Amino acid sequence: MSRFVAAASLDEALAALASGEAKVLAGGTDLMVQLRRARLAGDELPAELVDVNAVPELTRLELEGSEPYLGAGLTFHNLGSAPQVQAKYPLLAQAAATVGSVQVRHTATIGGNVANASPAADGLSALVALNAVAHIASGQGRRQCPLTELITAPNETTLAPDELILGFVLDPLPGSWGQAFYKVGRRQAVSVARLNLAVCLERELKDPRVVLGSCFPTPRRLGDVEELLSGGQPGEELWRKAGAQAASHFTGVCGWRESAVYKVPAIAKGTARALADAWSVLEDQL
Amino acid sequence: MPPNHLEKTGRLEFTLNGQPVSLADVPGEASLLEVLRGRLGLLGSKEGCGVGECGACTVLLEGRAVNSCLTAAWQAAGKRVITIEGLAQGEVLHPLQEAFVQTGAVQCGFCTPGMILAACDLLSKNLRPSDQEIETALAGNLCRCTGYHDILRAVKRAARWIREERP
Repeated sequence: MSRFVAAASLDEALAALASGEAKVLAGGTDLMVQLRRARLAGDELPAELVDVNAVPELTRLELEGSEPYLGAGLTFHNLGSAPQVQAKYPLLAQAAATVGSVQVRHTATIGGNVANASPAADGLSALVALNAVAHIASGQGRRQCPLTELITAPNETTLAPDELILGFVLDPLPGSWGQAFYKVGRRQAVSVARLNLAVCLERELKDPRVVLGSCFPTPRRLGDVEELLSGGQPGEELWRKAGAQAASHFTGVCGWRESAVYKVPAIAKGTARALADAWSVLEDQL
Repeated sequence: MPPNHLEKTGRLEFTLNGQPVSLADVPGEASLLEVLRGRLGLLGSKEGCGVGECGACTVLLEGRAVNSCLTAAWQAAGKRVITIEGLAQGEVLHPLQEAFVQTGAVQCGFCTPGMILAACDLLSKNLRPSDQEIETALAGNLCRCTGYHDILRAVKRAARWIREERP
């Protein structure tokens, strides 16, 4: 049996986590499934569940300025519907809107999505495209860690049991950027992404971002695809080549496994389509 | 009431369908669904999958649709919970319930409570939903009988009744 601790402040949350035997409960949409599985298997439960939903620091959303900040406790409903997220980081708003279902989006949080570190997490791909750096606290102090370093393997992170993700600082993306998020799943809602793509482009194609999710153990930007895009001539031809490169990146890392039969063409076309979508946003601004 | 107070008393207290409830010995890992069905005897909320895929356990927590199988019971502390049992006013069905009955949107009925509460959340914000908005709002609810068509019709019908303030 787990003891339930409703933390009313950050200090209370960190004090409760200090034992190292507690689990953070944010939205609960992953944790409750894990607890259910543990109970059915007769496995040991965490000594305490620390509910962090009432910790004020976790729901801060400040996207202006040089260090745009997103609290870890914001739900996907918050992110998908916040006008400032839609305006500045449409790919994050789009990714948020595809997570789970209305019910799941009402409770599931972006911090939970990161801490759970599913290879198929939609929020992660968007955050990685935005070069997100996690701000993490424990009773010992604070640290910052880029998401690509925080997540080390499927469902594994460098988070210690006493640590809590407070939020994420995102790339301010100065100038105008076109962004797109694209997902392939088996069902419109509650589908674990078979693949997802997060793309950011600016007009000169400097520093393009292409993140392919649900295809690798941990989220990654496709460096070779980004290199191919850099300084290229924007248009269908470039998007098609980038798509082919993304597909070969996938088979290069993962080999030709069964799922490649549909994933390879889906990655190629999905990448081209996400790039075209992101570019069309920029064109609309001309 | 702050959650901490509730925690200190050791009793889980919340408002269920407008009535206060107070329960002793609720373990931290218990889901809201388990407590509703097992402790409070309200069997309207169903457990279909137990992992948030099917929506049959949907309830309203502070007015918002959530999967009660994925919600720790203690997350409801101090809050308002509405289940399918709390929608009708005495003998008078909620417009969504009436519309589901009249439209034939119910076959085996297992998904119906969750469907109706998810629709209830939608209509609380949008009384003129498009087909696509209804589909998005109900996308987390599976029905293996009806083919969804009559469910969409029922939701639109209920929205019209509520707009026209029909009982």
